[in-house]
Amino acid sequence: MSDIKEISPTNLMLFGIIGGLIGIYISPYFPTAGALGAICAVIWGAEAVRRVAKYGLGTGVPSIGQIALGMGVIAAMFGLAIVKPLPIAGPIVALITASVIGFVIGWFAQHVIKMKIPVMIRCMTEIAAAGALIIIGYSAAVGGNYDFVRNLIPRVFDTGVMLAVFWVGAMAMLHPFNACLGPDEKQKRLLYLAGSTGAITMVIMGVAALMTLGVSGVITLALGIILWVIFYKKFWDEVYSDAASVVGTGLIPKTEA
Amino acid sequence: MVALVDPTTLIDILLIGLSGTLICLAVHFIPVGGAPAAMAQATGIGTGTVELAAGSGLVGLITSSYMYAHEPASSMVLIMAAGAMGSAIMLASTMLAGGLIYAYGVAVPFASAQVKRDPITRQRQDTYISKGTQGQGIPTICFVSGVVGAALGGAGGGLIYFVLMGYYTPLIAATSAAAVAGVFTMGVFYVNSVIPSYGVGGTIEGVHDPKFRRVVPKDVVTSVIVSMLCGVVAILIAGGMTP
Repeated sequence: MSDIKEISPTNLMLFGIIGGLIGIYISPYFPTAGALGAICAVIWGAEAVRRVAKYGLGTGVPSIGQIALGMGVIAAMFGLAIVKPLPIAGPIVALITASVIGFVIGWFAQHVIKMKIPVMIRCMTEIAAAGALIIIGYSAAVGGNYDFVRNLIPRVFDTGVMLAVFWVGAMAMLHPFNACLGPDEKQKRLLYLAGSTGAITMVIMGVAALMTLGVSGVITLALGIILWVIFYKKFWDEVYSDAASVVGTGLIPKTEA
Repeated sequence: MVALVDPTTLIDILLIGLSGTLICLAVHFIPVGGAPAAMAQATGIGTGTVELAAGSGLVGLITSSYMYAHEPASSMVLIMAAGAMGSAIMLASTMLAGGLIYAYGVAVPFASAQVKRDPITRQRQDTYISKGTQGQGIPTICFVSGVVGAALGGAGGGLIYFVLMGYYTPLIAATSAAAVAGVFTMGVFYVNSVIPSYGVGGTIEGVHDPKFRRVVPKDVVTSVIVSMLCGVVAILIAGGMTP
């Protein structure tokens, strides 16, 4: 499949980090932007999961999505809570913390557990960072801000929405590769599916935001549905165009030769 | 800001490291068969390591937090015991239901492929293994090993929760402290259940599996260090919540 031009991992990483951070930083003025930023991070994370899970983890793709959000939620809480005098630095500190935790776990997986996956360290760092951005982005869309003590604890943690952010966020990140893996897997199809899973998570966050924020939840919900339809249609088209090359092999012969 | 070099804080970081290690050990005890077991072609429960460890561990977290909520003065050991009970009951009922399906639905004899005789019942195993499979069902040793493992995991989850509640309760409302401590524990749980599942490569039969001795040391080393890192992070979060 080397003849198909793929978007380079570095470009997608920049897309995820910059898109995610811009979305999160606009969220105090327009909470829906938090979810849009998180979708950028989902797309980046799904690509990182794709690169590492291609080697075969032995435990299934879901495990890596769960560890990503596990590291992400720890780093996100730390990053947002620790910078009390300067809340604006929170998301960046969370991103860096997540990268450090991801790097440590990746290093141990590679050198102590000896998983022998060459991209392990880089991908573990990337998925942890993407996980942190996913958690902060979707939480900000529900909490209306990324201020940990004043907004996120009463609106996201106390209400239990955090569990939805954690689980549905993990699903958004791990599902694209889990669904597309196989010999005919293509990056473009996977990225569209990642967009659609990210958007459907946004819809769920919209429902949660209706409860916590009221009117701006409607915007998140409606925009989420529109984005989901767009991305899913794109994914659908990709599936059709990729399936067009499959040739019918006929029925299995009734009697063996 | 919480001083990190304070002896009490250091002990708490060590306790969080210990609880992460308990969770990591728990995964090795649980008979995880993965997809082959779901088709009754390998010994163990037919799902992934992470799902089982996290599923039983999170039930343990619920029971230990219930204990904490109703008896805030209870000792650490009681909270851990409550978590261990919850997890063990959860995994035992999972294995019982799975065992009923393997025995009466799929109709396979329970046999372990890793040992010739079951260490507990002393019954022959190898003659009951179907050709081309890695054992079937959940034999006695796997069941016992699984219950022990789940209890370890639940105790670990209860321990982190207990330590974190000690830090967060004085700073924010009790329900918020429970929510933050619970979510953090869940994060540590997922990290510590995925690390050993990479170590065992997806499937393990339990304590009698030769793989157990081979992978436990390196997984435990990884888990101790990663959990202590998480412990430092958790205690620093408390610094950010001071009013």
